[in-house]
Amino acid sequence: MITEGTYPYAIGGVSSWCEAVIGGLDQIDWEILPIVAGGKRRQQHFQLPQNACLLRPIELWSQDSAPRGIPGRRGHGTPSIPAKLLRGLLPWHGDLDDLTAALVHCRQRPDDVRREFRARASWQAYLSALQEILELDDEDSAPAPAYDAIEAARLYQLLYWIARTAAVPTPRCSLLHVTAAGWATIPALVHKALHGTPMLLTEHGVYVREAYLASVRDASASRGERHTSTRIALGLTRAAYAAADAIAPVTEANEQWERGLGADPEKIRVIPNGIHPFGEPQAPPNAGRVIAMGRIDPLKDVQTMLLVADEVGRRMPEARFEYWGPPTPGEELYAGACERMHRRLGLDERFRFMGRTADPHGVIRSGDLVLMTSISEAMPMALLEAMAQARPAVATSVGGVPGVLRGCGIVMAPGDVHGLASAVTSLLRNPGLAAQLGRRGYERLHRRYTLERCAEAYGALIYELTGRGLA
Amino acid sequence: MKELEDEHADGVMQARLGRRARDVIEATIVLEAWLGRPAHSAMSAARGLVAGDGDPKPDRGRVEAPEGDEQQGVLVEGVALVLSILSVAAWATPLSRVLGDGVLAAAIGVALPISVALQWALRSRYLSRRTGLALLARDGLALCALTAFACAVPLALMPGWGPLAAILVAIWVGGTVVTRRGWGLLYALTLVATSVALAHHAQPYLVLGLLTAFTLSVALAAVLTRRAATEERAGTMSRALVAGLLGGAIGLLLVSDPSLGWGVHGVHPAIALVPSVIGSFWGGYYLWNLYEAVPRGLSGVPLHRAGRAAMTDPAMMLFLGAILRLVGATVVLSGVLLFIGRWTHGTDDVSVLFAFGCVALVSLLVGLLESLGRRRAGLIACSAALAVELAWPQVVGTHLAGGALAAGATVGIALTIPPLLVLLARSGRVLATTLWIQ
Repeated sequence: MITEGTYPYAIGGVSSWCEAVIGGLDQIDWEILPIVAGGKRRQQHFQLPQNACLLRPIELWSQDSAPRGIPGRRGHGTPSIPAKLLRGLLPWHGDLDDLTAALVHCRQRPDDVRREFRARASWQAYLSALQEILELDDEDSAPAPAYDAIEAARLYQLLYWIARTAAVPTPRCSLLHVTAAGWATIPALVHKALHGTPMLLTEHGVYVREAYLASVRDASASRGERHTSTRIALGLTRAAYAAADAIAPVTEANEQWERGLGADPEKIRVIPNGIHPFGEPQAPPNAGRVIAMGRIDPLKDVQTMLLVADEVGRRMPEARFEYWGPPTPGEELYAGACERMHRRLGLDERFRFMGRTADPHGVIRSGDLVLMTSISEAMPMALLEAMAQARPAVATSVGGVPGVLRGCGIVMAPGDVHGLASAVTSLLRNPGLAAQLGRRGYERLHRRYTLERCAEAYGALIYELTGRGLA
Repeated sequence: MKELEDEHADGVMQARLGRRARDVIEATIVLEAWLGRPAHSAMSAARGLVAGDGDPKPDRGRVEAPEGDEQQGVLVEGVALVLSILSVAAWATPLSRVLGDGVLAAAIGVALPISVALQWALRSRYLSRRTGLALLARDGLALCALTAFACAVPLALMPGWGPLAAILVAIWVGGTVVTRRGWGLLYALTLVATSVALAHHAQPYLVLGLLTAFTLSVALAAVLTRRAATEERAGTMSRALVAGLLGGAIGLLLVSDPSLGWGVHGVHPAIALVPSVIGSFWGGYYLWNLYEAVPRGLSGVPLHRAGRAAMTDPAMMLFLGAILRLVGATVVLSGVLLFIGRWTHGTDDVSVLFAFGCVALVSLLVGLLESLGRRRAGLIACSAALAVELAWPQVVGTHLAGGALAAGATVGIALTIPPLLVLLARSGRVLATTLWIQ
């Protein structure tokens, strides 16, 4: 299993899913190959079960030496790796064969990677290729922005790290399970090209979609940097879809994206996330308490939630909102803006930022309903947790949310403060309806979103791909 | 109806992006995230919302702001450096008087290369980093203690010059850490006090022993008081080893010329080091800006100019500026030294000052090659310089003070200048292939 910035070094939905799948499929021996940001000390947040072992992580942007090959096995100065990678990744429709060949070359001749990227000829060949690619036209895209020297150098550095990631050896295995269609794809792509090992891709969020959202949010990025980050994500995503033998999105909404981006529909199998169901749920406190769970992040649109709380507060002064979750690292400015807005709206005790919790189920149990105002979601665990506690949810109609909440919650358009506030108010004022929706959610969870179902579906798919039964 | 929807979608696009969408994916995302349209419906509507024109002029790529406080207190550091050299130079006469010329010369001959090697290695792995002292506190103390033990104990066991060499290594290397903490002036004043004590016939080993204990204690305090949680990682061991090797070679270059006689000629030639050390300090300080100045100079430069060579490129200008500062300061201060030498019974020859100037320059150039990842070129230059220096007395003799050192250093300069000129003439290339790919 190849992870990217998640299991076992980060806490979050994808990491929890990894832990659940690995633990749920204990007949399989898993080797975990994490890809992480380098140059920093890591803390392992998950203990691996008996059937899993951790490989040495691939570090990006670190100062560690590049992977080494067998002494004496060096290529003969073809300044082509950077230009080939560029041709494979940057155009709207990149040359995936060229890309795979270049990545395989990096694996076979790891000693060439650093040498070639530091060579003058490679830089010149790269600049020529970049100029050509920027002049290409495509009907789905506006003409590319003109790059400056910094943007060109930064893209060159990005390609170097892609090449280094490809150069890291991967162990022999029966199946490559990739958990995101980005950097995690690179080692799998090479391994598959060399050994023909089947590849399974699970997409929680759609990688390219998240890259675009991050680019839209990054106000300080130049045009060239936005172009680079989105196109490289698109290139990696297309390469992942082409190489994968099966693509397992967690929701139908992702499936639509995958089809739209050119994935073969035959390969796609939606496997929803699941959680361990709990026993009989407790009755809600009927205290007018609204719970929100998630990181403080622009994708969660916390500012809309503050406006919703303000509007609900004018209708029901006794209503109380609790936001559980820390700011996303790097989004401290956004968290500060939320706090300023909180003060400006005079919400005081009516809306409280509670920080991290180790007991999400207990937190949800203490509330009457769960609110989510995200502008982007795949299949949020917070909603499943709400269903497990028989609490109704009010949420925005993004990603897999409408599918999950069908019949057991209220879905409104993103940013629709009035609609969201009305939905919250009506559920708080009508405990009978809230209880009914909560009960439906609880039953729906047991029917569709249990961990056992999720693990079973993966077990069956892995069996199909590898042609082996699970012991 | 469709027209109205399109107009609304276009308005949302402008509101969220401040422009039209760059491609269909971006348009789809805006429709999905801010209008709540399902993905398939958003995708089919997206094509009509893509901008038709491009941006002919390049934007300016982001240049990260310089990190931390590396350059703070530079003047104090410079003053401390000069005071340190003068103080150590002032020890020569009293130490030679008590211990004998041979002991001091041998101790300096061993201690100087080892100290410079350890200083370069320390800088490479820890001290050149923004949170260098915190890194040292977190995971370098045991390693440093082990290295210090491995260096000091064998030295101290050597008969005659050994204990003095061990003391000098401890004082010089400890001083590097103290200076990095910003306590350079305290360190320098301690050295001055030691000089005064030695001049007043205090027992040398007692005074130097106390100084060593004090320096190491302050160095430890300097590290421990900067103990903080840092996620940064130390530099690689292999790189630190090569840096140490290069530093050691520069140190060897300094002590391998038999005509200089460290410790034999009183305060000379140590005092003759002052001009070149100040020049080197100024040039090195100026060159420190390389990682910041090159990206800043390239921001907004169009792509077609990114691969061209030009002597006016930021990297080249910075390089030439550093050399000019080093050479200029060394020449001017050497002139001053020669002028006042008439009153200080100076024995400095122009050739010695020239030799030290050359060593300062080769040290700067080798350091630059090391930081740019061209370590092999640095090692070749140092090896050739050392070989020429060692061969010089056999071929030419030792009648010219500092002749062997000047010859060796000149060869080192000749071997380091060309690769640096070729590399630094193309700022785009140096940024992409060297500064950002180590």
